[in-house]
Amino acid sequence: MSELVGRAVDRVDGRAKVTGGARYAADNPVPGALQGFLVGSTIARGEITGIDTSAARAHPGVVAVYTHRDMPRLTAPPFPYLKGFIPLQDTRIHHSGQPVALVLAETVEQAHEAAALVEVSYRAEQPKAVIEDALDEVYLPAPFRDRPNEIVRGAGEAALAGAEVRFEADYSSPTHHHNPIEPHATTAVWEGDRLTLHETAQGVNLTRGTVAAALGLPPQNVRVISPYLGGGFGAKGPLWPHTILTAAAARLVGRPVKLVLSRAQMFTSNGHRAQFRQNLRLGATRRGVLTAIVDTSTAQLSRTDEAIFNRSDSAHLLYACPNVHIRHRGVRLDVATSSYMRSPETTAHFGLETALDELSYELGLDPLELRLRNYTEVNPETGQRYTGKHLDACYRMAAEAFGWARRNPRPGSTKDGEEYVGWGMATETHSHGAMPATAAVSVDAEGRVLLRIATQDIGTGTYTVISQVAADALGMPLDRITARIGDTALPEAGLSAASATVASVTGPVHRAATAVRDAVVAKAVADRRSPLFGLSPERVVTEHGHLFAADDRRRRDSYRDVVARGGQPVEATGSVPNTPGHSFGAVFLEVRVHARYGSVRVTRVVTAHDLGRVLNRRTARGQVIGGVNWGIGYALMEHTVLDRRTARVVNPSLSSYLVPVCADAPSVETLFVDRPDPGSTALGAKGFGETPITGVPAAIGNAVFHATGRRVRDLPITQDKLL
Amino acid sequence: MTDDPHPTRRAHKRRTVLKGSAVAAGAAAVPPLAATASAEAAIASTVDITLSVNGRDHDISLEPRVTLLDALRDRLGLTGAKKGCDRGECGACTVLVDGERIKSCTTLAVMRQGSRITTVEGLADGDRLHPVQQAFIRHDAFQCGGCTSGQIMSAVACIQEGHAGSEAEIRDWMSGNLCRCACYQNIVAAVGDAAREMRR
Repeated sequence: MSELVGRAVDRVDGRAKVTGGARYAADNPVPGALQGFLVGSTIARGEITGIDTSAARAHPGVVAVYTHRDMPRLTAPPFPYLKGFIPLQDTRIHHSGQPVALVLAETVEQAHEAAALVEVSYRAEQPKAVIEDALDEVYLPAPFRDRPNEIVRGAGEAALAGAEVRFEADYSSPTHHHNPIEPHATTAVWEGDRLTLHETAQGVNLTRGTVAAALGLPPQNVRVISPYLGGGFGAKGPLWPHTILTAAAARLVGRPVKLVLSRAQMFTSNGHRAQFRQNLRLGATRRGVLTAIVDTSTAQLSRTDEAIFNRSDSAHLLYACPNVHIRHRGVRLDVATSSYMRSPETTAHFGLETALDELSYELGLDPLELRLRNYTEVNPETGQRYTGKHLDACYRMAAEAFGWARRNPRPGSTKDGEEYVGWGMATETHSHGAMPATAAVSVDAEGRVLLRIATQDIGTGTYTVISQVAADALGMPLDRITARIGDTALPEAGLSAASATVASVTGPVHRAATAVRDAVVAKAVADRRSPLFGLSPERVVTEHGHLFAADDRRRRDSYRDVVARGGQPVEATGSVPNTPGHSFGAVFLEVRVHARYGSVRVTRVVTAHDLGRVLNRRTARGQVIGGVNWGIGYALMEHTVLDRRTARVVNPSLSSYLVPVCADAPSVETLFVDRPDPGSTALGAKGFGETPITGVPAAIGNAVFHATGRRVRDLPITQDKLL
Repeated sequence: MTDDPHPTRRAHKRRTVLKGSAVAAGAAAVPPLAATASAEAAIASTVDITLSVNGRDHDISLEPRVTLLDALRDRLGLTGAKKGCDRGECGACTVLVDGERIKSCTTLAVMRQGSRITTVEGLADGDRLHPVQQAFIRHDAFQCGGCTSGQIMSAVACIQEGHAGSEAEIRDWMSGNLCRCACYQNIVAAVGDAAREMRR
């Protein structure tokens, strides 16, 4: 084994990405393609009473303008299509920005201008946009994907009533939007009744299935291609209407159609993290042992959908508490459909990790010590031990590197110039998925390896990690491996979402590559022309593209020669199931709060994580720093503002929806436990991408409290809340 | 349109404003912003221009309202520069014009005739990557790559401007380019490293 796995290997797609050579969905030139642009509803609730498309149709270059009057009937497909309806099918308006017309023109400029010429009249009804305006309409929705919204372990209320110490607080966070730098894009090309989509998709196979269902096609008639994705963060996991509408319009007009959402449309077209309110009640002994967690939350839902994505998984599973009662409630509002957004469990976790900090002050305990007193390596729901949980090591490593023991717990105890300095910590955890996948690996007569699997690289490093895994299993240099992903023509794999990619594809790639290695070794030892002829296969090692006799390195053959003598490529497929699980970590950080301006800067961060075996330190670190910066945005700036009167997004742009910039990014020391999880078939690795945000918002809030004595329970922590 | 805050009113679209200024810049005898039939006809007509991109002259015919970004991507097939927002906020479309970094979505192609335009495709010297490109790979200064072309072009200019003297300076002067994967720490390291190398 050359042991590429585990090393900080450069990304194999690096050259393509730094030279502009990587072709993303909107970069593919499709001859003869029309440019599509959607017209969105300006009201949030009501009916379309008329649409005048004459001016738009008369605009130079415009080929068609479609509305509900002329679009074919389409079927709202099942998960992962999250909307209960498809637009352009009737006159009902369910949210602002809902597509009401689709313009097709020869150029982008013509399509955009013509879209502005479509005149729509409405009968508007008064919408509701925020939870606060519909508190008497809160209810407990039906289970989503078989996951109930009420979870009971023991007797939460009774235990709370009898607790030595009780703590209660309300926490809240606003709507967030994913805002990948690459907007959603789709290009639909029909050949007869076969459709090819160049698509921004986090899951090519699920997109294929849902598009086929919407259009009434057999799935095998649809090919979805997404070799590079300019960020997804969950926004490109589900299928959204614009893809279905574009495909249907392309069929209707008889030409390929390309459609790219505008940044403003990205605030109503592709899901969001729902506005969220949470009441948390904790019961504990005076020593700080949790006896009850009662967690009652309310999420913003749409009129057509009631799925809840921001679940209280950590209240359920993270600490050893015998009495837990969780209710995920919702309220229907006249807003667009919410969805998964990077680390959905963060939303409720912010409340829990803030409440524990508050409880630690009530008890006079160090917040880290409080967490250790409730530590468990047993899944409190199943009673079974985690196959690998080294959160205690994470606490220890990060606390030591940060210097946590030196902390004076008194709020406001440290001032440096005009800034108050505060230290805060929180636990990090997120679930990860595992989805069925098959990989195919082949070696040709030139000794080149082709690795094929219909997974995706959404920036997390899939190309690189699967190439490392295949190279190691084969005993090949990394540069001999070509990975092809993001195409339904390849062996099937699942979504790149729910931190599931590494957990799902590593085992299949390893198995397929190992099978090819074994087949090539078997051919060599059975071939009189091979210097390895007659050896037992177990006595052969493979390294750097060569096959060696283990005890006599002068006897050697090569992949190239063995395959060339055989006359045809050696190929194998592999499929290995894995189980979902959790990864863990701890974050310790420092903030500085300006005494007069109330501005908060995060100035130093130390993290330690347990993700099982670390397959690539570089890409793993990338997930951590990305997660920390997302946590900073979450805690301090991100906020989609909905106008309560019109239910429209007030700030649908990147100059008014603030995300962290380079100047906001502090130094981050990233530590890893790096112990394989024996329960994982992914070479001991666990899914990880979403874990390193989860604790950051609470750690920042806790540090702000430590700095100033001000507890902000309503995110984001903006200056006005500290002045 | 979803970016229209006044549903009952026909708003000035950015395109409308650009269209007006483009016509004015082109010295056509049409009053800016006049939504008349003659203005529409003028807009629908194209102009022939020459753009000098990555050391090569390209003769293209386009509407005056076409942004430099759309000209590069849709007319010249140079899709390295990305359209992240189309309004100068994200920086994914950053290119060099006469050595200065600009957001190519907020300038019209017709305004850039006679300028030297450099895109990320023109940065490497044959197979040899530019020091900034090399540093981005070495420091893992990208994930999805959606912002990377813009970050790299911005970094080249940032270094040439003399704004890469310290980490704090790099953070400030690279803050016009958003990275939603949020690789900022690695971007700062890459820019600093490339700056040291280029000063040698």
